[in-house]
Amino acid sequence: MTTRATTEPIVHERQIEATPETVFAFFTDPTKLTRWLAVDATLDPRPGGICHQTHDGRNGVEYLMRGEFVEVEFPSRVVFTWGFENDDIDLRPGETTVEVTLEPRDGGTWLTLVHRDLPQSERGDHDSGWATMLDRLAAALP
Amino acid sequence: MQASLDALAEPRRREILALIRDRELAAGEIAANFEVTRSAISQHVGVLKLAGLVTERREGTKRLYRARPEGLADLRAFIDEFWSERLDDLVREAEREERSSKHDHASDN
Repeated sequence: MTTRATTEPIVHERQIEATPETVFAFFTDPTKLTRWLAVDATLDPRPGGICHQTHDGRNGVEYLMRGEFVEVEFPSRVVFTWGFENDDIDLRPGETTVEVTLEPRDGGTWLTLVHRDLPQSERGDHDSGWATMLDRLAAALP
Repeated sequence: MQASLDALAEPRRREILALIRDRELAAGEIAANFEVTRSAISQHVGVLKLAGLVTERREGTKRLYRARPEGLADLRAFIDEFWSERLDDLVREAEREERSSKHDHASDN
């Protein structure tokens, strides 16, 4: 097992006009997670519980995100691993981690999402990098 | 990034890119792989070229094409974009949920 070089984490922040309790459920309740992130989800929101999401690519291709919850602290923090079962996506289950923190602010919620341990792009590994990117782009298209 | 995404929205353009990923091909050779007109293929190649995903090289009267992977942002940029778009959806849906639950409470009274 080799450890790949990783990039700086990706960080996104949003102010949401909803309570942390309301926002939290959008990460742990499948009926809510499928309103913004995935087309299907099986979630067992406790440490070690599964976090499975199906992302819809074009051409009927389904991308199977197979993660696991690491931390679940209602309503302030949820951490889960992020990787794909598909052979054509070069991010294996367990390889990367998404951390979400929710803080009450101005009557709403300040959300911070940090995606860690992403591998550096495969510069020099032309074939796999290129194939992966095409598949990823296809997966992300509406 | 958006130009790349738009260019790749068409499945046939992705097939063309896969075809010229590792080798340079003339327009006619690309077209021979598809059951559509050569001019349709030329149009697709033109869109890919504009998006910076394909390079063109002339050799005599032939124009040769090859995919240009560096035209795509790297994996990190892609995932960055993914989260940015998804979180915008989350904000919209969570705020909608909040408004509807407040509305429900108000109608309880």
